[in-house]
Amino acid sequence: MDADRIVALVTAGGIELTDRRRNVRNDGWSLSFANGATVEVGDDGNVRIGGKGTKAVAGLLDLPVAPRST
Amino acid sequence: MTRSSGIALFSSTFVLCAAASASASAAQPGDPPDGMPKIETVVVIFAENRAFDNLYGHFPGAEGIDKASKESLEQRDRDGSVLSELPPVWDGLTAKGVTPPVTQAMTEHLPNAPFTVNDAKGFNVPLNATTHDLWHRYYQNQMQINGGKNDMFVAWGDSGAMPMSNWDISKGDMWAVAQKYVLADHFFMGGFGGSFFNHQWLICACAPYYANADKSTAKPSIAVTDDSGTALKLADNSPKSARDGIPKFVSDGNLTPDFYAVNTMQPPYQPSGNDPAPGGDPRLADPAKPTTLPPQTEPTIGDMLSLKHVSWAWYSGAWQYTLEHGNHTPIPNFQYHHQPFNYYANFAPGTEARREHLRDAGLGGVSFIQAIDDGVLPQVSFYKPQGNLNEHSGYADIQAGDRHIADVIAHLEKSPQWPHMLVVITYDENGGIWDHVAPPKGDRWGPGTRIPAIIVSPFAKHGYVDHTPYDTTSILRFITERFELPVLHGIVVRDRAVAAHGEPTLGDLTGGLELN
Repeated sequence: MDADRIVALVTAGGIELTDRRRNVRNDGWSLSFANGATVEVGDDGNVRIGGKGTKAVAGLLDLPVAPRST
Repeated sequence: MTRSSGIALFSSTFVLCAAASASASAAQPGDPPDGMPKIETVVVIFAENRAFDNLYGHFPGAEGIDKASKESLEQRDRDGSVLSELPPVWDGLTAKGVTPPVTQAMTEHLPNAPFTVNDAKGFNVPLNATTHDLWHRYYQNQMQINGGKNDMFVAWGDSGAMPMSNWDISKGDMWAVAQKYVLADHFFMGGFGGSFFNHQWLICACAPYYANADKSTAKPSIAVTDDSGTALKLADNSPKSARDGIPKFVSDGNLTPDFYAVNTMQPPYQPSGNDPAPGGDPRLADPAKPTTLPPQTEPTIGDMLSLKHVSWAWYSGAWQYTLEHGNHTPIPNFQYHHQPFNYYANFAPGTEARREHLRDAGLGGVSFIQAIDDGVLPQVSFYKPQGNLNEHSGYADIQAGDRHIADVIAHLEKSPQWPHMLVVITYDENGGIWDHVAPPKGDRWGPGTRIPAIIVSPFAKHGYVDHTPYDTTSILRFITERFELPVLHGIVVRDRAVAAHGEPTLGDLTGGLELN
């Protein structure tokens, strides 16, 4: 899954994209959404989700949710 | 009586009132317009993301879709040519999980015209189904309006045909409320774009500012505009036609090139989408996060009300629940960026102003409704329904919000405070959805697309469609005049801009009232 696809699916669910930038290693994108979720998507298609809105975003992307530590 | 806010400037006020004294002998300099003091309690209910034509386009007596010219119903492609048909709704019309779904394939080859989502002969999607969200952003909104022609909503959207959708809500509860009281059919959103910005316009009539953004982590969020300064610069790989896909821009950020925040940023205080900084104050959002907006210092309507010792509160659904338990979806689905006072230093955690004015409306608004029933609302109340009750595309449906707000209205009508009450129910913005009426030409920030607004009061003209031009700041105009407050700078600028364009003065809601 690439960054454009993730943005399309999450924003269609009413969760606005608030930030999109290349990550510090320049090997993928870092995406932030209005519900507090952050999505790291590598150029290889690997996806990691974190932040407050993880569950909602993971549901829209059909990805498993890892429990939050905070 | 409708007044320009410019007359509320102190020197002009004296002149106006002196001139008016012949016809209103009891009036004193600085008094509110005749009859206004009959309103003792003001309630503002702020729902989400519906254009006027989307819900009330077929309301009897209103300037709706039925009265639109054929040309105003057509959408154009990015090169300016008229589309032969609408593109499909990318990824489908219904939200994920809705059954039966309306898929992208089912939306192919729609005529270039508005369509009704719950048409039994069409998609037949019920009012309790959630549908695909649409871009509703600052620059895109201006590009879609296209100088008032409103013919580029599809071209500069991200959801294909979706902007041309509307609903038949004539069996809905709020339709009946609009029939009983006043439907304003020329009410426009105060600012271009989305919820974050329009909540700021509701309380401040201002654009938030991010000082030195180019030297901060927010630098990549600075938008890149074309030479007009009102449109985004297209990326080289952007699809040429709306039928080929979603447009791409060089940088579609949250900040203008001169650092005003026009798309969603997170509050600097909890509840915020951004967690506290590691080891930092748990009441704050991490200021190092690129989406955390620094605390704002512009005066708000709350500051003005407090200055004149007028009681007021912002009631937020699920506010305390979210602080104590975190957010949950699909219920209550609290929205951090719908809490505009939470961006202001004057209402920072620990302040008396925050304790007094930022109140929990409870889950489903129960605490707000209790205050209504008990007759203890402050003189001015703002009510923000929690996420699942706000009618926002993508995560909420129309029916749940419509019924909830109508229930609140029913409680208000029975409140001990009702005999001297004014209630305004409106939407923060259009949610990226098309409307056919050109917004008044104003200033750099708005007004944007037309939205529904309903005026409810014992003093409302019953069964009336009010054609007076209003925008979100008209609510502030009424509050300002009624309680004789200093005028927020943004209202003065808006009025001057509207006048400079030769547009009619934006009203103060009294066009829908019988106060004399």
